Amino acid sequence: MNERPPRRRRGSGLPLPLLLAWRYARGGRRDAYVRFLSNLATGGVALGVGALVLVLSGLAGLQGFLRDDYLSRTPHLEIELPPSEERTAAELPALLSKIEAQPGALEARPLLRGRGWLLVGKGAVAVQVVGYDGELPGFFSQSEEQRAASAGAGVYVGDGLAVRYDLEPGRLVEIVSPRPTLSPLGPQPRIHSVRIAGAFKTGYTESGDNRIALPLPLAEKLFGLRQRRIEVRAESLERALELQAELPPLLPAGSKVSSWRDLNRGLFFALKLERIVMFLSVFLIVPVAATALVTVLALIVSSKRGEIGMLQAMGGGRRMLEQAFLALGAGLAGIGLLAGLLGGIGGAWALDRFELLRPPGGVYYIDHIPFRIRGEDLLLIVGGTLLLTLGATSAAARRAASLQPLEALRSP
Amino acid sequence: MTVSTKEAPAIEARGLAKSYLDAGRRVEVLSAVDLEVAAGEMVAIVGPSGSGKSTLLHLLGGLDAADAGYLRVAGRDLPQLSRTELAAFRNRQLGFVFQFHHLLPDFDALENVMMPGRIAGLPPGEVERRAQALLEEVGLGPRLDFFPSELSGGERQRVAICRALLLEPAILLADEPTGSLDPASAEQVFGLLLDLQRRHRTATLLVTHNLGLASRCARILELRGGVLAPFEPATTEA
Repeated sequence: MNERPPRRRRGSGLPLPLLLAWRYARGGRRDAYVRFLSNLATGGVALGVGALVLVLSGLAGLQGFLRDDYLSRTPHLEIELPPSEERTAAELPALLSKIEAQPGALEARPLLRGRGWLLVGKGAVAVQVVGYDGELPGFFSQSEEQRAASAGAGVYVGDGLAVRYDLEPGRLVEIVSPRPTLSPLGPQPRIHSVRIAGAFKTGYTESGDNRIALPLPLAEKLFGLRQRRIEVRAESLERALELQAELPPLLPAGSKVSSWRDLNRGLFFALKLERIVMFLSVFLIVPVAATALVTVLALIVSSKRGEIGMLQAMGGGRRMLEQAFLALGAGLAGIGLLAGLLGGIGGAWALDRFELLRPPGGVYYIDHIPFRIRGEDLLLIVGGTLLLTLGATSAAARRAASLQPLEALRSP
Repeated sequence: MTVSTKEAPAIEARGLAKSYLDAGRRVEVLSAVDLEVAAGEMVAIVGPSGSGKSTLLHLLGGLDAADAGYLRVAGRDLPQLSRTELAAFRNRQLGFVFQFHHLLPDFDALENVMMPGRIAGLPPGEVERRAQALLEEVGLGPRLDFFPSELSGGERQRVAICRALLLEPAILLADEPTGSLDPASAEQVFGLLLDLQRRHRTATLLVTHNLGLASRCARILELRGGVLAPFEPATTEA
């Protein structure tokens, strides 16, 4: 007599392929080799996915920081006009109005770019000169203190340069232009004395350190009108990209419109390349785990040959068996994927929230590594992992389903 | 010898041949087997080991393909069926009982018996009712949730018989169903098989070495030299 309480039949309501997968997974746990290999495969997938989430979110955090830093010093759009001084000067006001009339274009201002030297004391510093009209443009970002200490329109220098050469507001400096002026002694460089009006934040990277901003009339005097450009501020970075395509018909022939993306193309390419290389390097863990997954399935198929034969004798079709083993592999990979995602996301959140990764002070320009979990990264990780593990599993499942019933039944 | 009935035969085979390649040599197992089994008839096939009894059963069950000959089982020409059609045919029309029960170890007795119904895609509730009734019929009502490893050899074979009969197939193919059992269990299992076969009117082909059990079938055929013939006790090895 059956004196024990009746057993619960777990998963008996599932479709048959899923029920078979469930029971095979549970039955396989009793076999030490199968258990070891399935732990290895699941753990491998979890490790790969977790590492990918951590690496990509760390990279996203760092790269986002860098990107924001660069973008804060880059105009949304910069229009390079054809080199015709008279016409450009005459047409400029109408052109600015036309640009500002475009939806999403908040402001269009003339700009001038040139290269020269800043004479400080007995030294000379090579500088990139930006001539601005009206107020200091937004891509020269200032802290509250810098803004308070500013003396209106005038020469602005980066805070790095200001500290290095003690360029306090009011100090007199000389700016030298390579554009020569003719004198009885022959061509002479143009030199102009100006007073420092204030400083702006140079950002964390060195490239912004040698910029100086001059009022437009002074810049035109030093560098001429040929270097004239228009800076356009859009309502968003995305709208700026759209405006880049919409503006050319409004501009004089030969004008060139560069977006924030074009102006930082090298940086964005480097960042993208870094992401791709890091993703591929860390993703290599997943194929190794997928191989272990195939081994587990092969081991289970091998130990279940007789049962597979009996299922076929009872009318179990190829498709049902393939689905069962596919579900088994997908289940093992899915557990690994889920564990990896939870671990990776949890880890990235904790590292960011508690600022646990702190690079040595004084060497890097940030005090902690920021982590940013992006949906598109998670999609890429989940998609790549599923593609690889399901591909490997599907091959093993097809092999199991292609067993001949008689061959399988004759197995010990 | 064939049994002639007005009803279409459950199994009809003419000139069935099968050979294998073994170490480069062709071994002819079945040369020209003629067989007719009527619906509801129970026929025993005896013969020495290696005479091709199991091979014949596999051909009749669509688990293997004949090299030549005509084969019609439950009204279908088996060689004409695709792999998928053959699987569906086996599911609905045939029941198999093997010497080694081939129960699924990760499923309990009830679930094992339900398996052909689940494969057929029948509603699980209905399949469960049928399976439970069958198991109770063979005295395994208290063992429904026992796994094969918890059952005796005789009980496992009873579960295997219930599984084979769940969908009330037209034909039951039993390959040494008592071969791995002690005499008492063998007697019990065979008695059960006989009883169920009569009650369900299932045409049964029983391959066995046990002449005592074979003699309780309606007919005994002997497979020798690749040919099936009525059994004559004097020619059979002990």
